[in-house]
Amino acid sequence: MIPIEAYLAFAAILFAIGAYGVLAKNNTIVVLMCIELMLNAANINFIAFAAYSADAIGQVFVIMTITVAAAEVAVGIAILLNAYRAKGTIEASGLKSMRW
Amino acid sequence: MDSSIITDLFREFTPMAPMLVMLLGALVMPAVSLGYKRRGGVAAVSLAAIAASLLINAVLLASGYSGEYGGLFGYDAFSGLMILLFQSVAFLAALVSASSTETTRLHFGAYSSLLLAATAGMMFVATADDLITIFVGVELASITSYILAAMKRKDPRAAEAAVKYVIIGGLSTAMTVYGLSMLYGVAGTTSLDGIAASLSTAGFSWAFGIAVVMMIAGYGFKIAAVPFHMWAPDVYEGAATPVSMFLATGSKKLGIVVFFKIFLLLFVAGSAVASFATEEVQYAFAIVAALTMTIGNVVAIAQTNIKRMLAYSSIAQAGYILIVMAVMSEYALTGGLFHMFTHVFMKGGAFLIVGALICVGVGEKISDYRGLGRRAPFLAFAMLVFLFALAGIPPLSGFTSKVILFSAAIFDGDGVMTQWIWLAFVAVLNSAISLYYYARVAKAMYIEKGESEAKLKVPAPFLAAIAVCLALTVILGVYPQLLLDFCADAASALFG
Repeated sequence: MIPIEAYLAFAAILFAIGAYGVLAKNNTIVVLMCIELMLNAANINFIAFAAYSADAIGQVFVIMTITVAAAEVAVGIAILLNAYRAKGTIEASGLKSMRW
Repeated sequence: MDSSIITDLFREFTPMAPMLVMLLGALVMPAVSLGYKRRGGVAAVSLAAIAASLLINAVLLASGYSGEYGGLFGYDAFSGLMILLFQSVAFLAALVSASSTETTRLHFGAYSSLLLAATAGMMFVATADDLITIFVGVELASITSYILAAMKRKDPRAAEAAVKYVIIGGLSTAMTVYGLSMLYGVAGTTSLDGIAASLSTAGFSWAFGIAVVMMIAGYGFKIAAVPFHMWAPDVYEGAATPVSMFLATGSKKLGIVVFFKIFLLLFVAGSAVASFATEEVQYAFAIVAALTMTIGNVVAIAQTNIKRMLAYSSIAQAGYILIVMAVMSEYALTGGLFHMFTHVFMKGGAFLIVGALICVGVGEKISDYRGLGRRAPFLAFAMLVFLFALAGIPPLSGFTSKVILFSAAIFDGDGVMTQWIWLAFVAVLNSAISLYYYARVAKAMYIEKGESEAKLKVPAPFLAAIAVCLALTVILGVYPQLLLDFCADAASALFG
C-alpha cells in the first residue's frame, strides 16, 4: 500500500507548481489554470485523508470544491473577456493602471 | 418577543430562515427585472426581500432563539448579530444602487440578484458550524462579488480591478482549501465542534501548523490584512461606489467572522492542553494586526483619490478589529463586534457620500471636494462626522467602539494588565495618524475655495441612506448600550 506521505508530498509539489505559476506567469488565463492546479492539490489531500481514515466527508468536500472551482473559472473567464474588450489586453503587465 | 410565528412557518429550517428569504429574493430578481422597465421597481422588490429577511432575523434575535440544522448550520446570538450586520450592509447598498449613475442600467435585475446572493452567502457563513458550509458560503459571497465589481461596464478601471479581484480571490480560495484539507486530515472531521474536541486531545502537529498558516493567509486576503491587502484599493477604486461600499463594509467582515468562527473556537478548546501553542498564533495575529493598521494608515496619507484613501483607511480599520484575534478574550470580542457595527455605518456613510457626489458630477479626487461646505452643506457635514468617527473623535460611535476594543488589549476582565498593551499603543498612535488624512478632506471641504459655487442636489435614496448612517453613527456613540448588550451576548455565545 502506498503510504499517505506520498500523496501529501505529491499534493504539496502540485500546490507549489501552481503557486509558482500564479506568481510568475504574465498571461492571466494561465494564472487561472495555475489556481486550478492549487485547488486540485487540496482535492488530492482531501481524497487521501478520506481514503485512509475511511470517512466519506472528505470526498463530499472534494465535490464542493470542484463545483466551486468550475463556477470560479466560468466567472473568471467572463471577467477576462470583459477586460479584453475594455483594455485590449489580458496580460498581467498590461493591467497596472492603478498602483499604490 | 415570541419567535413561534417563524418557527411554525419554517419548522426545522428556522436557523436558515433569514437566508432562505434572501435566496428566494435572489432567484426571483431576474424575472422581476423583465416585468419592470425602470430600475426603481426592481430595487423596491430587492429591498422588500431584504426587509423581510431583516424582520425575521430581528424577531429571532430579540426572542433569544437558538437552534441548529443537521450539524451544518446553527443559529445563536452570535450568528444572529452577524446576520443583522450583513443585512444592514445589503439594505444600504440596495437602497442607493438604483439611483446611482455608476451601476448598470441594462442588467439591474442580475445586479440585484447577485447582491442578494452575496449577502445570503455571508449570512450562511455567520451560521455555519462546519468547514464545508463555511467554505461554500465564503465562495458564494466571493464569486458573486467578483461579478458585482466587474458590473460597471465600459470602464477600463473596473475591468482591471475585477481581473485583479478574481485572480487574488482564486488564489486565496486555493490556499484556504489547502489549509482546510490539512485541518481535516489532522482532525478527521469537518465539524467545528469535532475539530475542537480532537485538537484538545491531540495537541499541536506540523500539519496543523500548515493549516493555520494557510488559513490565515487565505482568509487574510478576504479581510485585506497586510501583506495580503494589495487588491483592495484597486477594487474599491474601480468598482461602482455602492459596490465598493458593500465590499468594504460587508465582504471584509465576512473574513473576520470566519476568523472568529474557526480560530477562536479552536483556541478556546486548545488552550485546555498545555502542549498546544496558542501563544505563537496569537503573536502572529498581533503582528498582522499591527502591520495592517500601520501600513493602511501610512499609505492612506499619500492618496489623492478619495475612494482609494477610504480603501486604505478600511484596511487600517480591519487591523483594529484583528486586535481581537491577538487578545482572544470575551471582552475583546465584544468590542470587536461593536466596532464591526460602527464601522459599517461610518465607513458605509463615507462611501455613500462619495457615490452620491459622483452621481452629480463631482470627481473622485480630494481636490474636487474643495468648497463642498458651501455647495452641499448637509453632505459636507455628514462627511465630516463620518471621518471624525473613523478617526475616533468623541462622542461619535468610532470613539466608543475603539475605547472598548483598545481597552480590552490593555486590561483583561479582572483588571490585570495584559501583554498586548504595546498593540493598544500602536493602535492609538495609528488613530492619531489617521486624523491627519481625514482632516485634509475636512480642510478641502470647508476652508479651501472651489472653482464652482453651484449648489448640488443628490438623489433622495442617497440622502436617506446617508441620514440613516449619520443617525446611527451619533446614536451608537452616545448610547452604545443599544447594541453593546447584543454584542456581549454574541461574544459569550461564541465562547460557549
